[in-house]
Amino acid sequence: MSILDRLRGGRTAHDVDPLLVELQAALTPERVKMDSAQRSLLGKDASMFEGGVSGPICYPTSTDEVVAIAKIAERHGRAIVPRGAGTGLAGGAIPLGAPVVVAMTKMNAILEIDEENGIAWVEPGVINLDLTRHLTPRGFHYAPDPSSQQVCTIGGNVANNSGGPHCLAYGVTNPHIAALEVVTATGEVLLLGGLDAEPDGYDLRGVFVGSEGTLGITTKIAVRLTKNRPGVRTLLLSFATIRDAANTVSAVIAAGIVPAAMEVMDQKITRAVEHYVHAGYPIDAGAVLLAEVDGAEAGVDIDADRIRELGIANNATEVRLAADETERALLWKGRKTAFGAIAQIAPDYYLHDTVVPRSKLADVLDQIYEIADRHDVLVMNVLHAGDGNLHPLLIFDGREDGVMERIQAAGEEIITASLAAGGVLSGEHGIGVEKQPFMDQLFTSDDLDHQNRLRRAFDPTCRANPGKVLPMGHSCADIQQLRSVPTGVWG
Amino acid sequence: MTATLLSTDPVLAAFAEEVGESGPIAIVGGRTRWENGGALVDGTRTIAAPSGIVEYIAEEMIVKVRAGTSVAELHASLAERGQVTALPERGGTVGGAVAVGQNGVLRPMRGETRSAVLQVRYVSAEGKIVTGGGPTVKNVSGFDIPRLMTGSLGTLGCIAEVILRTNPMPAQTRWFASNDADPFAVHRSLLAPGPILFDGSTTTVMVFGHAPAVTEDVMMLRTLGTFTECEPPPDATGHRWSLSPRDLQTLDVAAVGAFVAEIGVGIVHASNPQPPTPLAPDVRVIHDRMKAEFDPPGRLNPGRVVGLR
Amino acid sequence: MDLHLDADDLNACVQCGLCLPHCPTFRVTGDEAMSPRGRIHLMREVQDHDAPLTDEVMESFETCVQCRGCEPACPSGVPYGHLMEQTRETLADAGALTPLWQRLAFKPLASPTLLQTGSSALAIAQRLHLVPKRLGISTELPIRRRPLEASGTDVYFFTGCVMDAWQRDVHRSGIRVVEAAGFGVTPTNELAPCCGALQAHAGLAEDTRSLAKKMMANLEPGRPILVDSAGCGAAMKDYGHLLGTPEALAFSERVFDIQEWLAGHMDRLPVAEPLDLRVAIQDPCHLRHVQRVHDATRTVLRPYVRELVELDDEGLCCGAGGAYSVLQPDLAGQIRDRKVASIERSTPDIVASANPGCSMHLAGAGVPTVHPMELVDRALGRADTAP
Repeated sequence: MSILDRLRGGRTAHDVDPLLVELQAALTPERVKMDSAQRSLLGKDASMFEGGVSGPICYPTSTDEVVAIAKIAERHGRAIVPRGAGTGLAGGAIPLGAPVVVAMTKMNAILEIDEENGIAWVEPGVINLDLTRHLTPRGFHYAPDPSSQQVCTIGGNVANNSGGPHCLAYGVTNPHIAALEVVTATGEVLLLGGLDAEPDGYDLRGVFVGSEGTLGITTKIAVRLTKNRPGVRTLLLSFATIRDAANTVSAVIAAGIVPAAMEVMDQKITRAVEHYVHAGYPIDAGAVLLAEVDGAEAGVDIDADRIRELGIANNATEVRLAADETERALLWKGRKTAFGAIAQIAPDYYLHDTVVPRSKLADVLDQIYEIADRHDVLVMNVLHAGDGNLHPLLIFDGREDGVMERIQAAGEEIITASLAAGGVLSGEHGIGVEKQPFMDQLFTSDDLDHQNRLRRAFDPTCRANPGKVLPMGHSCADIQQLRSVPTGVWG
Repeated sequence: MTATLLSTDPVLAAFAEEVGESGPIAIVGGRTRWENGGALVDGTRTIAAPSGIVEYIAEEMIVKVRAGTSVAELHASLAERGQVTALPERGGTVGGAVAVGQNGVLRPMRGETRSAVLQVRYVSAEGKIVTGGGPTVKNVSGFDIPRLMTGSLGTLGCIAEVILRTNPMPAQTRWFASNDADPFAVHRSLLAPGPILFDGSTTTVMVFGHAPAVTEDVMMLRTLGTFTECEPPPDATGHRWSLSPRDLQTLDVAAVGAFVAEIGVGIVHASNPQPPTPLAPDVRVIHDRMKAEFDPPGRLNPGRVVGLR
Repeated sequence: MDLHLDADDLNACVQCGLCLPHCPTFRVTGDEAMSPRGRIHLMREVQDHDAPLTDEVMESFETCVQCRGCEPACPSGVPYGHLMEQTRETLADAGALTPLWQRLAFKPLASPTLLQTGSSALAIAQRLHLVPKRLGISTELPIRRRPLEASGTDVYFFTGCVMDAWQRDVHRSGIRVVEAAGFGVTPTNELAPCCGALQAHAGLAEDTRSLAKKMMANLEPGRPILVDSAGCGAAMKDYGHLLGTPEALAFSERVFDIQEWLAGHMDRLPVAEPLDLRVAIQDPCHLRHVQRVHDATRTVLRPYVRELVELDDEGLCCGAGGAYSVLQPDLAGQIRDRKVASIERSTPDIVASANPGCSMHLAGAGVPTVHPMELVDRALGRADTAP
């Protein structure tokens, strides 16, 4: 054996696996992968969860191929797990029990723009920001803008009912989806929803959005087009305390203004960001509020002025109105580079996601600081304050001994504090495997039983992304069982 | 505040008791859409849902209200704080509006009914109180039971209480009518128009927002036709057609009869009924399974079938 | 296997995936093994968990264009380019990467005489239609070249290897423009025969180090060194990192892309009638993502052309990638198709690209491409050959 042969492990032979043979025959050999590199890659997503075990990975290019994959997987008793760009933070795309992973990245065409019906038909692999870029010249955009919009796919957005900074006024993904073509785990193609005003029947489209791949795989999506707003005003308000910032947010909503976005950053993250990108953020402020209003050019100043007044009434130390598009972009750059800024401090972070009533934001934030202190964890807060959506960033170096245990303990207490304040487990990341163990803190056993019934109606054989969302004992598939992988599938 | 604690609300517990664990049962609201989904099986026990506003937090833009409350009463309370919900005001109850799931003509301004239901609490076929969704505007914690219940005509559970998202009412709303404007051009030209109603000759349009924005819209309207300010139009009546926005451009007037069309939305209020279009067989299978899962004995609103149109 | 990757650099990636859409190979394949996140994951698997170097792992490493478009997109600041260069160096040292024929092919780059002779032979072969299409040589190569003469000692002008052999007229344009700004120019010619960029990309970093040392020894200290090839400029700006000596750092600091240099001296450039052209700017990756001085191209070109247009692909690579278009012709072609589509959407008269590899690769798809200096030179009316 030559040096080269020894260095190279050689191609792992899997061509005897009948599942693989059938999948390759249905697609093409190049678009079904089973090598150890690919399987190790697709065993992960952007979350911190380890333990994913992928079976064969398929790259379909059509609905028919997805149907074929589902039927072959069914014959072999294997589950199917869809995957978009793999940017999920709750582990929703992590394959459990060596399922067939269905990577939707090659189904990425914008099929039709139908201005008269106010929709566009797209394939699930289309990148969120690519869609908006494509629509912009026609005077439209796609409204939900998750922070990962430059990479996340519309299919992934549908699975997670994704939000984003501008969902305060425009709503999260669900109301922006008119219709879906989906393939169930048994290979049926369903058209859910429709382009008509009030599609008949149960709102199966509505329940499919946000179901994290547990009801089937989306193969075609009619997204609603939103007209671009000619008038935009962006304000940066500085406060001595984060409580003043939170109070301002409540006051704005109480005043009947629904801004396009209201984002709050605490002092630590503000300093980190300013140090990193020099966006002109005040480093001595206790917190900053980035507020944006949009609409007709003629009306936006009224709301912007009112926000300014309410900020001052709530002790704002400075109110800056972006003078032009350049300054506006700079202010948003500060918000959007928060992760880059924290990377300068430590290599790892755990981005948390809970929602609390707006009026409880300040109290819960105090508790979060206290929890982090007690567990000796560095925490910074950047939040979609308008929605009450908290995103505490726990910052650490994973190589430090015992740090993961502290992070996990702090994370659990943050969840408990958020629920105690009348909040919910997740605002936009979803449950996945991350928050599965906490579902019974929010829901009763009967509640969870009914969620499982909804799921079973779509997937009676429990093969669509099993082991997610519902906690053990309520899920129709037991994770322990899933993790016992059939013999012969290991690479 | 845990789910368990909330479920012990004595009013809801009494309602659950009333629903019981067996025997055909239907919840009656304002009977404004009683014929939807077909006739109720004879001998079905009918009861009313509990009523009353439980909690209204204007700063949170949410209201928790029992299903038997009339939409009019709810909206009157919200109006004191300058807010409103997406539910249509047609003389019915909150629970009825959610169970039917239709939208009012003000949908372009107020949003969709099914997006307004943040949390739903219902009594199951087994007589248990079940909660779906949550009290916050943003929430992706688990399966979307509120959307499943909205428009389910009470066939999956007896809706007892909901948390609705409220919206601020705009500073100004003004209605204009024209006999020479192209309603589709109005829809294309305005940035965010309110309802645009067209009956074959007259275009009636609402513009809303801050005064300067409304003025701008009115100036735009004047370039599209001879618009004069008018009173809000009366409630649209008749049979309800659900079409796509584009379908309205080729509306078969002979088929619909006298009509008022919601331009940009696709709803047509017509003197003739819309011919039924059965659900696709595969979708019907999911419906039947859903019904079987949530109501194994088939006791909830028997006779009523969702998706028959 | 120890890839000799810096543990901190490798650990910096948090797998967020924000790099994915900025990676040309992921864009055309949708395959995560062809993405920066995927490649880093595989580096970790190999280095930390002793994963075998399967064909698939090698393919993942070999298909990277090294455009480094992922670096500006990375919020964690992962030094991806260095990780990939180190990976390739370790693998090449172990004999797992860059076979002998490729190593031999890089040899003439460091030898001007050999390269000029070879290129003339190639030019003649090209006229006789003997050059395989796979080589992607789309521009007509010159058979004879007039030598470049020094006009003063204010700045060095780096002439390099392939570009000097194949596109010396671009050098002439650049030199004339710098002279028009009132600077005396010394072409480096045989003082600095090659920057070593292509060798470093292929994992032959030792060759690059020796070329770097030679160049540093031959060029007098203090004088700015102007480079009109984005890939060469990026490599020379990286000598500080490559050699890790104070001398190398100081050397790197006086390396400027020619547009970058001129952008700081616009007041010295003559005013001229703008060319009646709509020009699309195609930023070479090593100008935009590595040197990050691509704004200078706009500053310098703007006064001299009627209209500048931006492409709508956010600086995604064109697939040229030094020798990449020869080594991975299929992927390079698919990546180029995306670029050409973007160019077509911007409806330009001509494309300006400040890197010889890019312009040849694009010309191979029939896209009229010139160096920005050729346009400025033409506007200034000093050109003796039309671009």
